[in-house]
Amino acid sequence: MAEQAAKKPTGTSSPQQPEAADAADTSATIGEVRQLVQLMIDNDLHEVEVREGEKRIHLKRGGKLQAPAVPLEPVPAGESAQPGAPEDRYTPAQQAGPGAETGLIDITSPMVGTFYTTASPDADAFVAVGDAVGTDDVICIIEAMKVMNEIRAECAGVIIEICVKNAQPVEYGQTLFKVKTA
Amino acid sequence: MFSRILIANRGEIALRIIRACKELGVETVAVFSEVDRNASYLHLADERICIGAAPSAESYLNIPRIIAAAEIADVEAIHPGYGFLAENAHFAEICRDCKIEFVGPSVESMRALGDKIQAKELAKAANVPVVPGSDGLVETEEDAVRVANEIGYPVAVKAAAGGGGRGIRFAHNEVTLRSNFNQAQSEAEIAFKDGRLYMEKCIQNFRHIEVQILGDRTGNVVHLYERECSVQRRQQKVIEETPAPELPAELRDAICDAAVRLAREVGYHNAGTVEFMLDADGNFYFLEVNTRIQVEHCITEMATDVDLVKWQLHVASGRKLAMTQDDIHHSGASIECRINAEDPDNDFRPCPGRVEALVLPGGPGIRWDSHIHQGYVIPPTYDSMIGKLIAYGPTRSEAIATALRALDEFVIGPTKTTAALCRRVLAHRRFARGQWDTGFIEREMLGK
Repeated sequence: MAEQAAKKPTGTSSPQQPEAADAADTSATIGEVRQLVQLMIDNDLHEVEVREGEKRIHLKRGGKLQAPAVPLEPVPAGESAQPGAPEDRYTPAQQAGPGAETGLIDITSPMVGTFYTTASPDADAFVAVGDAVGTDDVICIIEAMKVMNEIRAECAGVIIEICVKNAQPVEYGQTLFKVKTA
Repeated sequence: MFSRILIANRGEIALRIIRACKELGVETVAVFSEVDRNASYLHLADERICIGAAPSAESYLNIPRIIAAAEIADVEAIHPGYGFLAENAHFAEICRDCKIEFVGPSVESMRALGDKIQAKELAKAANVPVVPGSDGLVETEEDAVRVANEIGYPVAVKAAAGGGGRGIRFAHNEVTLRSNFNQAQSEAEIAFKDGRLYMEKCIQNFRHIEVQILGDRTGNVVHLYERECSVQRRQQKVIEETPAPELPAELRDAICDAAVRLAREVGYHNAGTVEFMLDADGNFYFLEVNTRIQVEHCITEMATDVDLVKWQLHVASGRKLAMTQDDIHHSGASIECRINAEDPDNDFRPCPGRVEALVLPGGPGIRWDSHIHQGYVIPPTYDSMIGKLIAYGPTRSEAIATALRALDEFVIGPTKTTAALCRRVLAHRRFARGQWDTGFIEREMLGK
């Protein structure tokens, strides 16, 4: 069973109180996004990226506004996985190491089961390396308790790596695909 | 014996099960939530599978994910430990439907004994004394008042789907009964999805005596004597010991035999515990059955030399009990202190976080059952118990002396724990004399 690299635990001894802080941060960030959108319209810009510490907002114009591929709440560096942390399936590639490329995200498994690259044994694979995927595109199937669950990309970009093999058992949180979004 | 099982639990009991399996040559698959990823006991399992995020509903209570993990790991059985899904008859049923053995009693026993009203009926059928009460559901406030007038105040209003000290409200008179009754119903509805209530005469300041039972699938049932769990705080056990002090031999036999009768009545197999209340006049009454291995099973193991977790696996895999009642001998005394990561000086506020300093006790007569280690981060998401300190000695006073010196050796920081509270209890003169009941901690230690 492939395991993700263990993060060094540095936890805190104070009880978690994330809710109030998260709500304030989220509404502040939505305000910022609105301002950025207006800025882009006013100046006829097509793409804007803003970074502030751990927070990153990336907007592309032309068609639908894209949802940010990173959690809106800043994830403090160095803390071990907290119970209050967003149940986001994506872990920014920054955590993969200093040499990681920007705009690279991992699509992780939302469940425990068996990974399949095709809808059925004779069918073609849903995706291959180099394919562009959109938010609603089915990229694989995970079978659990005899139910075939279609897994969607929920992001837009290009598949640069398929990290598991057909019919391989996968655990929750296991990296399935690496996608380049920029 | 199984070749491979999955452990649907975490922490010290997961480690306990891994240990038994290793000695029996059974491969283990441990599931874990994301926040438990760095727990070192996971590396003792043959395989580890992450099943979800920290919240129990997404991990240790998540039946589809646990079953999915069992299937991809190709296990023959699932050991549920205690808490979480251990007493969930629906989970046991799904396991068996998926051709995975559930290490525990039958689904029918779990259902029957999980319903506290039905459990009482079974006890009566087995000639086990029960607390005078409503003899069934109490549906309206008027019914409650009528029952209370029959059995006399104070009364306890209990949730049929409750257990483990939860879902109980007390009333000392009609006014408080009326105001508590409807609240009790809504609370039960929310907590257990089942608002059914029953009532019992409130036995105040009783001793909590429980009997360990073990049955196999051919109908053999033995008891492994009793445990005293009277030192509690807010209905949760703090200190447990065996044997129950100052218990006359005939009374001990009567209580233990009653437990076995009830187990036979239900066709119980695997490990279980029958709990009783013992009042000041020497009357005992059936409380409930816990259809699982319990936290305090260790003290019974010390006193009887029977490995209960191994026997759970043997029985679940179809083996008959190798011992008859005459083969079970209880010798010496054993005491367990539950060490919780809580601050007794701040209303027992939970103290999660990193364990920086840890020095564990040792020496003769000491057993330490815990999953924590130096550098371990106690997550805030789960139960606060981080370890069990078990002392054994030929007599009760020697076991107490061993426990006291072990508690003095125990160092943990900066995490606050209940270790010092346990020490105060054990050193208390009333504890030494065996003069206490379930109100002990509140009265003597917290001055309430």
